[in-house]
Amino acid sequence: MGNLKRVSAIVLMLVLVFSLAACGSNNNNKNAANADTSSDTSGNTSSNSDTSGNTNAASDSSVDTSEFETISYVVLGDKPKNGQLEKVMEKVNAIMKEKINAELEFKWVEWADWQTKYNLLLASGEPLDLITIGTDWLDTWGNAQRGAFLPLNDLLEKYAPQTWSEIPQEDWEQSKLKDDIILIPENHYTQWVNHGIYYRGDWAKEFGITEPIKDFDTLGKYFQGVKDKKPDAVPYDVNGGTSTFYNGFATTYTDNIELPISTGYANVFYAKSYDERYTVDSPIFNDDFISFAGLMKDWADKGYWREDVLNYKGDTRAALKAGLSGADSHHTQTYKGLRVEMDKQQPGSELQMFSYSDTRGNLISMPITHGGTSIGAHSKHPERALMAYELIRQDEEIYHLINYGLEGVQYEVKDGKRFRPAGYDEARDGFYTDFWGGRVDKFEIPSDTDWSGIGDVYAKYDQIKKPFPYGKFVFDKTTVDPEMTAISQVIGEQLPAILFGKAGDPAAAVNALRDKLKAAGYDKVKDEIQKQLDAYKTLVEG
Amino acid sequence: MEAVQKRIRTDGTSLMVRGFGYTFIGLFAICCLVPFLVVLGTSFTNEASIAKNGFNIWPREFTTFAYKIVFENPDLIIGSYFVTIGLTIVGTVVGLFLVAMTGYALQRPDFEQRNSISFFIYFTTLFSGGLVPFYLLIKQYLHLGDNYLAVLLPGLMSPFLIIMMKSFTKSIPHAITESAKIDGAGDFTIFMRLILPMTTPALATIGLFIALGYWNEWYNAMLFLSPDMKYRPLQLFLYNVITSADFIRNSSAASNVPLRDMPLESMKMATAVVATGPVILFYPFVQRYFIQGITVGAVKG
Repeated sequence: MGNLKRVSAIVLMLVLVFSLAACGSNNNNKNAANADTSSDTSGNTSSNSDTSGNTNAASDSSVDTSEFETISYVVLGDKPKNGQLEKVMEKVNAIMKEKINAELEFKWVEWADWQTKYNLLLASGEPLDLITIGTDWLDTWGNAQRGAFLPLNDLLEKYAPQTWSEIPQEDWEQSKLKDDIILIPENHYTQWVNHGIYYRGDWAKEFGITEPIKDFDTLGKYFQGVKDKKPDAVPYDVNGGTSTFYNGFATTYTDNIELPISTGYANVFYAKSYDERYTVDSPIFNDDFISFAGLMKDWADKGYWREDVLNYKGDTRAALKAGLSGADSHHTQTYKGLRVEMDKQQPGSELQMFSYSDTRGNLISMPITHGGTSIGAHSKHPERALMAYELIRQDEEIYHLINYGLEGVQYEVKDGKRFRPAGYDEARDGFYTDFWGGRVDKFEIPSDTDWSGIGDVYAKYDQIKKPFPYGKFVFDKTTVDPEMTAISQVIGEQLPAILFGKAGDPAAAVNALRDKLKAAGYDKVKDEIQKQLDAYKTLVEG
Repeated sequence: MEAVQKRIRTDGTSLMVRGFGYTFIGLFAICCLVPFLVVLGTSFTNEASIAKNGFNIWPREFTTFAYKIVFENPDLIIGSYFVTIGLTIVGTVVGLFLVAMTGYALQRPDFEQRNSISFFIYFTTLFSGGLVPFYLLIKQYLHLGDNYLAVLLPGLMSPFLIIMMKSFTKSIPHAITESAKIDGAGDFTIFMRLILPMTTPALATIGLFIALGYWNEWYNAMLFLSPDMKYRPLQLFLYNVITSADFIRNSSAASNVPLRDMPLESMKMATAVVATGPVILFYPFVQRYFIQGITVGAVKG
C-alpha cells in the first residue's frame, strides 16, 4: 500500500514537472519562433539585396532564369477531376516556360476542413511559393504576425514591375504589416458583398408595388401580398441561421458601419458612422432596435416566415427557384447569378434586390484585401514566383486560360460575352482554378450567367460608396478573449429569436439581450476596441 | 392442482414478458429502420419536391440525379472504395496483431519492464502534442505526405485498445504460458497458438473498433493526402462532394465558380447510402461473431 502511494506521488510529480516543462518549452518555442522570423526577415532582405546584386553584376537589369523552376500556387477549392485542368495547364505552362522558364502548379486546399488545413500549411513551414490570402476570411494578418509570409518590399519592383506600378500607393499601404508588404491585393476586381433581400418583381407589380423596394415598410407590404395572393408560397422562406435582418437594421436604420471584429452569428461591434469611424458603437444598443424587434415580431405573427424558422434546415434557395418562396437574401455577387437562374426557372419573375444601402446610402466598399496573393516565408524561389504571378495578372492569354479555360471547349465569346459552347457538358468539360488572388477587370469577359443589368447596380453603388477604412486594422483580442467568446455565445443564443420575432415581448427581449451582453463583458471589450481604434487612428491620420 | 395453476400463471407472465419484449424491441427496430428508409427514399427524390413536401420514405418525384452527381466519375468512387477497403483490411489485421501482442506482453508477470513500458503508453493519453506537431511529424520527419501509410499508421494502435486487450488477456491463467514453456514452446508460438485462439471474443470486439475507425477515417486523409492523389478514402471523397456543393452555394469567395444545380438535400442522403451500403451488405456475415464477442466480453467484464 505504502509502495502504491509512493508510486502515485511520483507519477503526480512527474505529471506536474512535465506539464510545467511543456508550458515553459512552449513559451520558448514561441520566443524562438519570433526571433526566427525576425532574423528570417532580416536574412531575407539581405539575401534579396544579395541576389539583386548578383544579377545586376551578371547582366545589368535582366533577371537570371537559366534554371527551370516549378512554382506552386496554393488555392482554395476542390481540384477538378475531369482532366480539363491538366489540358489547360499544359497550355499555360508552355507560355510560362517560354517566358520565364518555369511551370505553374496549383495546390488545392479543399473545402473539407479548409480552415485547419490552410493554417496548418502555413504553420508547418512548408516551402510554398504563391498562396491565396484574404484578410477578412483567411486570417491573413494573424498568419503574417506568425511570420508565414515573405516581405515583398524589395522584390516587387524588380520581378513584378507592371503589378507594382498598377497598384496605387495607398493600396500598397493597406497590404503592409508594419512596414512590410506581405501581400498583393486583388484591388482591380469589382465585387460587392453588399447584402439585401431578393424579391420577385412580377409579384411586387401584381401587389401594386411599382417602385423598387427601398425600405422595410414596403418590404412588409410585399410580404403581405404574397401571404394574401400566393397561397403556395411562404413570403420569405428563411433559416434561423441567417442574420441578414441584423445587417439590414444596422444599414437602413443607423449610420453604423461594421468593424472587422467577428462575434459569431452577428457582429456586435460597429463604428458609429463613417465620419466617426474610430468610435465604437453597437446597433444592438441603438434605441431603434427595440422598435425594429417589434416590427420583426409583427411580421412573425403575421406568418411571413415559417413557424419553425429557428430550427428549419431546408434549402430555402431551392424553394425560391421552385416558386415556393417570395424572397431570399444574400449579397450582390450572388444576386447577379441568381437573377439569370430565376429568369430561367421562373420565367418573368424578374428577381429584384432591395440592397440595404438603398435606404440611406450607408455603404462601405469591400476591403481590397478580401482576395490577394502572398508568398510563403519558406519559398525557395520567390523571385520566379513573383514573375509567374505577374504573368497571370498581366498576360491576357494566360489570364483567360487560368480563369476561363480553353476557348471553344470551356467558352466562346460572342458580342463581348462568354457563352458555353454547344454540347458543353459540365461533368466532362467543366474547368476552374479557384484563382481569387489577383483578378483584374480589364481582362474579364462578362458571362451570360451574370445578369446583364448588374452594371447599373454597380454604378448605383459607386455613387454612394465610401472607402473601406479598416484595411490595416488588426484587432488584437488576447486581453479580452474570454469576454469575446462569452459575447459570441450570447449573440448566438439570443439574437436569432429576436430577429425572427420569436422572443416574446420585443422590449423585454432586447433589454435581456443587452443585460446579458453587459454581463458577458461588453463594456470591457468595447473599451479595448476603442483603445486600439484610437491607436489605429493616430497610425492612419498621423 | 395448485402446481398446475402455478405453471399456468408463470406461463402467463412469461408470455406477457415475451409479448412486451417483442413489441418493445420491434418498435425499437422500427425506430432504427425508419430513418434509414427516409434517407433512402429522400436520396431518390427531386430537390424541388423535397422543398415542397419534406422528407418521405416513398419518393414523390423519382429521380436519380443525386446519384448521378455522386457517381459523376465512377472510377473515382470505385477507386475510393478500394482504398478504403484496402486500408480497413490491412489496418485491422495488422492493428489487431499488434494490439493483441502488446496487450499480452504487457500483462505477463515474467516481463520485468512491463510497468514502465505501460506507463509510457498510458502517459501519452494524458498529454498530446497537438495538431501542428502531429502534422510536422508525419509530413516532414516521416515524409509520408501523399502516402497511404499516413492514414494507416496513426490508426494501428491506441492506448485504449491496448488497455482493453491487456485486461482481457490477464484473465488467461499464466499457468498456461508456463506449461507451454515447459513443453518447449517459444514465446511467439505460445502467443500465436495458445493465446490468440483464446482471445477471439476480445479480438472480435477490438477488431470491430479498429475496422470502424478505418472505415470512417477521413481526417488524417484530409490532412495528409492531397488532391494530387487520384484515389483517396471513400469518406473523404463523399465529404468533399457535400462540402464543395455546400460551399459553392453559400460562399462569397467562390463568386467565380459557375453555379451548378446541386441537389444538396438528396445528395447528402445519397452519399449516406453510398457510405453505409456495403456495411449493411457485409454485416449479416459477421454479426454471429459480433454477438458472441460482446456477450463473452460482458461476462468477463
